[in-house]
Amino acid sequence: MSGAAFRYARAADPAAAVTLGAAPGAAFLAGGTDLLQLWKAGVQAPAQVVDISRLPLATVAAEADGLKLGALARLHDVAAHPDVARDYPLVAEAILASASGQVRHMASVGGNLLQRTRCVYFRGGEGLACNKRAPGSGCGALEGENRQHALFGGSAACVATHASDLAVALVALDAEVEVLSAAGSRRLPLAELYRQPGEAPERDTTLAPGELIAAVQVADAARFAGRSTYLKVRDRASFEFAVVSVAAALVVAGGRIAEARLAAGGVGTVPWRLDAAEAALVGQPVGPDAFAAAGAAATEGAQPLAHNGFKVELLRRAVVRALETVGGQA
Amino acid sequence: MSADLRIEAALKVAGRAVFPAETPATGLLYAALVEAPVASGELRALDPTAARAVPGFVDIVGHAEAEGLKASSNTALIRERTIHFAGQPLALVVAESPGAAEQAARAVRLEIEARPAVTALDQALDQAYAPKLAGRVPAETRRGDAATAIAGAHLVVRGRYETAVNNHHPMEPHAAVCVWEGERPTVHTNTQAVFGTRAAIAHAFQLPADDIRVVARYLGGGFGCKGPLWWPWMFLAMIAARRAGRPVRLELSRAQLFTLVGRRQETVQELALGFGADGRLVGIEHDVLAQTSTHGEYVDATAAVSRWLYACPNVSTTHRLVRTNEPQPIPMRAPGVAPGTFALESALDEAAERLGLDPVELRVRNFADRDQQADKPWSSNGLLECYRVGAERFGWAGRPAPGAARDGRWRLGSGMATACYPVHRQPASARVRISGEGALTVQCGTQDMGSGTYTVLGQMAAAQLGVAMADVTVELGDTWLPEGPYSGGSMVTLSILPAAEAAARQVRAQLAELAVTDEASPLAGLPVEDLEFADGLVRSRSGNAAEPLVDLLRRRAPAGLEAEASATPPEASDVSGMGYGAVFVEVGIDPDLGELRVRRVTAAYAAGRILNPLLAKSQHVGGLIGGIGMALHERTVTDRATGRILGDGFADYLIPVHADMPEFDIALVDEHDPHLPGGVKGIGMLGSAGVQAAIANAVHDAIGRRVRHLPIRIEDLL
Ligand SMILES: Cc1cc2nc3c(=O)[nH]c(=O)nc-3n(C[C@H](O)[C@H](O)[C@H](O)COP(=O)(O)OP(=O)(O)OC[C@H]3O[C@@H](n4cnc5c(N)ncnc54)[C@H](O)[C@@H]3O)c2cc1C
Ligand code: SF4
Repeated sequence: MSGAAFRYARAADPAAAVTLGAAPGAAFLAGGTDLLQLWKAGVQAPAQVVDISRLPLATVAAEADGLKLGALARLHDVAAHPDVARDYPLVAEAILASASGQVRHMASVGGNLLQRTRCVYFRGGEGLACNKRAPGSGCGALEGENRQHALFGGSAACVATHASDLAVALVALDAEVEVLSAAGSRRLPLAELYRQPGEAPERDTTLAPGELIAAVQVADAARFAGRSTYLKVRDRASFEFAVVSVAAALVVAGGRIAEARLAAGGVGTVPWRLDAAEAALVGQPVGPDAFAAAGAAATEGAQPLAHNGFKVELLRRAVVRALETVGGQA
Repeated sequence: MSADLRIEAALKVAGRAVFPAETPATGLLYAALVEAPVASGELRALDPTAARAVPGFVDIVGHAEAEGLKASSNTALIRERTIHFAGQPLALVVAESPGAAEQAARAVRLEIEARPAVTALDQALDQAYAPKLAGRVPAETRRGDAATAIAGAHLVVRGRYETAVNNHHPMEPHAAVCVWEGERPTVHTNTQAVFGTRAAIAHAFQLPADDIRVVARYLGGGFGCKGPLWWPWMFLAMIAARRAGRPVRLELSRAQLFTLVGRRQETVQELALGFGADGRLVGIEHDVLAQTSTHGEYVDATAAVSRWLYACPNVSTTHRLVRTNEPQPIPMRAPGVAPGTFALESALDEAAERLGLDPVELRVRNFADRDQQADKPWSSNGLLECYRVGAERFGWAGRPAPGAARDGRWRLGSGMATACYPVHRQPASARVRISGEGALTVQCGTQDMGSGTYTVLGQMAAAQLGVAMADVTVELGDTWLPEGPYSGGSMVTLSILPAAEAAARQVRAQLAELAVTDEASPLAGLPVEDLEFADGLVRSRSGNAAEPLVDLLRRRAPAGLEAEASATPPEASDVSGMGYGAVFVEVGIDPDLGELRVRRVTAAYAAGRILNPLLAKSQHVGGLIGGIGMALHERTVTDRATGRILGDGFADYLIPVHADMPEFDIALVDEHDPHLPGGVKGIGMLGSAGVQAAIANAVHDAIGRRVRHLPIRIEDLL
């Protein structure tokens, strides 16, 4: 299977990349593990492919002010980096729970954050209704097969989940992204990169055409290192996207929860930060009561569809389990 | 025989085994199929204008061209303009490159009159009907009076069991390289039946069979889908090759394997078992509802296991079909028996619990010492031994009480089930030739699905003539060879082995005769019965006389010797052949998160004479992995709104990955079958039967929940 013909250009440097990328119908190519699949399936037909894979944006550096991940750092290299494994185990765990070894050696951080939904209607191509792929065609999942779809953040136009594991961990850690365009560079919280579908599900992000993610920055999170976990529940033991996942990190002082970070995957149209659950934890003594309250708060406002109702209870339990795992001894 | 490695292993590992799609051909053109976008309707017109404009476009072949083929069930879909399912090919485009062909195929404009489609079984329940046959046996049977027996039973276990649609997905997709020389076509295609394919081509194109050559030297699996459903699309490629006067290659995509080559049909099974107070079955009612397409009829003999697996005087079984605008079902590994044992063996487990009996003991009590359905004795039956050996290796007797065992977050449970598969045979011929220099060749027109046919034939011939495996060549997968059986129903080995063995014996007899009648041989004058062939020698059993086989050949048969033999199964046999197994499984379940892991599988199989234990174990392990997939992962989903298959790739159609596979402990139980030729039974299907129920039973043991549908997923275990 192959997709439609496209023009190909390799960007010599980031400035060239953003210029080339601003042309109508252009798409950046990093590891290609998602873009090429979508192209083959006819879901995406870029007129111009801008190869950014060789740009010098692959740093992985943990410094005093935090962790910097170049957008082109390979997932494998990030997870295997000793500083990441030591101080940001949540990031390493989320990556190691993703895809397969082969994919992680190709896939980049930027590409992972911008991978498109796994919604089978979206990826099924022509003939299936999908507002994200073909605006105005309808949403096949809403009344169709929606076991994999979102409990939170959906609209009448789209209920597709965001599939990245890494993004869930990074959203929990308040990561920011550095974005380049012809106009210069800007920084924004990763959570603000993502758009809920609303009336325009075809736009996954707030990026303007041609904007390039240069790096991801995580403020120092070493204080969570001893109490963080990425829990991923899936339909087989490995090499599969999350049905539900939870990133959890705590700071405990004097037997009480001083700081809590919780985000969930597989349940939201964007990586879903569980603010209410965090609020239910902060200030509480570490223990089952606090965890149960957080589990209940996590599912507030869930809007289950015909086939994904079980995920409400699964999310509650996954939050509790993740907190039990990181709660440890007060 | 010994556990030799596959003869062709080195070729495959090095990438030197040429699979059909890789057949070199000068001037090769590439084909792509134009697919129906709707699940039901009529093709009114097809406009290739835009396709013709694609650079590299060569030709388009559609109904008009296919109408020249002889009408039959194999050509109906390409001769008639009715659309029966989404993705149905409506034309084939050929071009100078695969990319151009696909692009041109997409550019073809279709004018279709769409009709409402039935896209799920439950939409047409009122139109369910009873077919005559299920597989090759009657769809409906009645022995005694099951309803009355169940009504008066001490215990009745009743349940509805559902199994999902599965697709076969051999690693190698279907392909054909079609070459015509005048009116003589050669088709290199990965078929499970080179001779069957030749006959189908001969009929469709109205050509003499001898003018047609079908070649399939190596195959990357089939599991039942490399059969007749592939033929119409292959015919289109053949028509295109004839028109172009150039070779044409058609290769299916992974997505097309979901629609174009068959599926394991979904089933809804109502099962009722009645037991006496002693735990003996008094009645079985097994009623199956299954999907078939709107253009073809197929039903697995799903309820057939209930007819013969256990002793029971009163059994009634039925099969009904519902036609939907979905792809056509066909047999898939362990057809019928896989879904059928899921129901029967789950229900038996439930009965054991309610009767307070060990599940193995309940099965032993209900052991059928003859085939009650056919009213014949078994040719041999090693089932009781399988229970004993399997239970012992697994540690069944010492297993923890239900729900009692834990390992961290995992609750452990154990379950078991019976596996079985009937023995089928087909006629076959084979040729054995030895050259003047001692090189041995075995030829048979069957094909090696990747399961080891090359190797077992080579081993047999080497053993018969006492030559080294290195001196044996096996040639398969070509209609220029003596006619062999199709690969299906686990019958290749048992069908061809008797023929090949007979041919090898004839060659040996000729050689023995030459030796004893040759004054120059040290064996001159000995009785032929005194000769044996071993270690490259012909030698006397009673004395020391011996000479190298090669010396004898050089002297007496410098041009070599050959023999051809056939073996035909008897029309009617006075015994029933059945292979058996007992599967024991340990699962771990995290009941909070609904995760399930198969931790351990022990299986004991009794399936006649084992020709190569390494290959046999590999077949069983492969079958068990397929069974785990059916139990926990595999599920083909049709979109109700459009009738299209959703998630038609390996990203969404889940199969077990390594992390899902436990260690497999396989016991091959010795079985001497005096009735079957060569004592051989089939083994390919056994592994894929029983394990699904064993897993479901282990789930119940672990968390007390009975899941009566497959696959078992997270939401079933929360
Ligand atoms: C079989 C399989 C299983 C998988 N399982 C998982 C899983 O379990 N969990 C998980 O999280 N992911 C999973 N993935 C997804 C995988 O992680 C992504 O495909 C991968 O991370 C994408 O990275 P890439 O570099 O290959 O991106 P590409 O395919 O090159 O690009 C993806 C998208 O991002 C854009 N893009 C890439 N880099 C930039 C940039 N720097 N700036 C702006 N735009 C950019 C591209 O234009 C494109 O639209 C799986 C993928 C496969 C194929
Ligand atoms: S959920 Fe979104 S992506 Fe999926 S079909 Fe609906 S619109 Fe398309």
